Amino acid sequence: MTGVVPLVVLAIALAVAAALVPGWAWLPALGAVIALGGAVWAWRWAERNRRSWGYVETDEELLITSGVWFRRLVAVPYGRMQFVDVQAGPLQRLYGIATVTLHTASAETAAAIPGVRSDEATRLRNRLTELGESRGAGV
Amino acid sequence: MSDRAAEDLGRRTHPMTGLVQGLLWGAAAFVALIGSILSRRDGGLESILFGVGGAAVGGLLIGLLAGYVSWYFTRFVIDGTELRITRGFLTKQSRRIPFERIQSVDVAEPFIARIVGLAELRVEMAGGNESRTTLRYLPLNDVRDLRRLLLARAHGEEIADDTGPKDDQRSLITRVPPQRIIVGTLLSLDFLGAVLALICVVVIGVVSQQVLIVLGGVLPFGGAVVQIVAKRILEQWDFTLSRGARGLRIERGLLSRTSQTIPYDRVQGIAIKEPFVWRRLGWQRLEVDVAGYAAQGDDSGSSSTSTLLPISDPALAEAVIAELVPSRTEQITTDRPTRRSRLFAPIGWRFRWIEARTGVVVSQIGWIERTTCLVPHHKSQSVELRQGPLQRWRGVATVEVHTPPGPVDVDGDHLDATAARRFWEEQVARRT
Repeated sequence: MTGVVPLVVLAIALAVAAALVPGWAWLPALGAVIALGGAVWAWRWAERNRRSWGYVETDEELLITSGVWFRRLVAVPYGRMQFVDVQAGPLQRLYGIATVTLHTASAETAAAIPGVRSDEATRLRNRLTELGESRGAGV
Repeated sequence: MSDRAAEDLGRRTHPMTGLVQGLLWGAAAFVALIGSILSRRDGGLESILFGVGGAAVGGLLIGLLAGYVSWYFTRFVIDGTELRITRGFLTKQSRRIPFERIQSVDVAEPFIARIVGLAELRVEMAGGNESRTTLRYLPLNDVRDLRRLLLARAHGEEIADDTGPKDDQRSLITRVPPQRIIVGTLLSLDFLGAVLALICVVVIGVVSQQVLIVLGGVLPFGGAVVQIVAKRILEQWDFTLSRGARGLRIERGLLSRTSQTIPYDRVQGIAIKEPFVWRRLGWQRLEVDVAGYAAQGDDSGSSSTSTLLPISDPALAEAVIAELVPSRTEQITTDRPTRRSRLFAPIGWRFRWIEARTGVVVSQIGWIERTTCLVPHHKSQSVELRQGPLQRWRGVATVEVHTPPGPVDVDGDHLDATAARRFWEEQVARRT
């Protein structure tokens, strides 16, 4: 998603340039085609990337998986959670989604789940906080 | 904000704080000012002398003023549940430290403060870059009393401020003699590397007769040599490890003394490091993961703060480890990287393994400096299984047990993909 918008903008800018510059028109036109191709690829890749994110709440831990090329599977025991963040930028709010991030005492955990629906994000945060308090071992 | 009145009730630190802090800051200001004066290269000797004198006086005045202001506006309170420190003149800062969040309490005596018998208190909490709180400066005995109080409260015990033993009963585990630290430093890899680089630079310079090469190389490498020696030897001089009721006590330092307390139940993991030359002599270095210790990049440096034993023989190291993590463990599984992972570590792949035991997970890596890490199962934070495109091609995957930032890293790099998956599943299920 983030890669698509600038590429489309670039393609339009290059197409305009091709129309304005008569002599060397083929060069910006070629650039526009490449940028457009990149945008299409990024759009498809964004879909694959989105599908790669997932999480499961099991009895004792939260499992998070992510990545298309660099696949990652992290298990975070509820008792180890220090705090849970829910963040949503302006674009994310427009689409009613949010990013849920789990923090343990380890920075390596880096367990973020992007693109969760807002109501689900709130539910998840409350549920995780509650579970964390009942299991709480911390550090 | 709400307890405005309580702020004014708090104690101030020792009045000499302003002077000591002022001298330290003054020295820094002097260095900053003198650079700009000397780079101005006009005028004769008198104007330079005048400038240097002016920088000294000016730096001292600025430092003393800043030191006094920061002292005047710093107050601290200890009540039933927390330590509260308010400071700041323009921007008020108030920090609350709940006792149960305290990870460790250290006493540090920077050189200038030590001369006048003052010390600073460092309280570590878990997480973040600003997890360390310092309170400077108080008389050494007051700081020790404060530490005793905070450590007792951190363990949920009520003790009155003035009663109780002056210092908890401690028994000496070991005292590392300074000459051993010196020999160990001279044989350590980074020192040997820096010296070797220095010699190479000088030889190249002499052969090619280029003065610039010699100067350009001698400065950084010579600086590295001096820094390594100063850091290791000065900071670990007279390294004493002792055992108390609540944790291990480390005392070290030649000019600046530091006294650390590591509560037994706050140890997140242990790393045993054996550099190439040391291995021949049977020496080991022990480093410890305590939440909050690694977040600092200040004067004392993370490497010294997290050192549990700078140099020791295996028997002693084993005895110390046995006090901090579950020992007498039985091996459950051992996994080594497959031959297919040669691509990622052409030599190193033979020297890596990860082992699950009852109570702890252990991993070893490295053939120049061998590092063995132990993490108790009940301290591991999260468990990760990951695979990149190249790893997928070779059919391998990496398992990693996450711990708070520090020297300890338990990784099972490039194991066979199915073995890695099995290890991950088993490790997730292990609780104690």
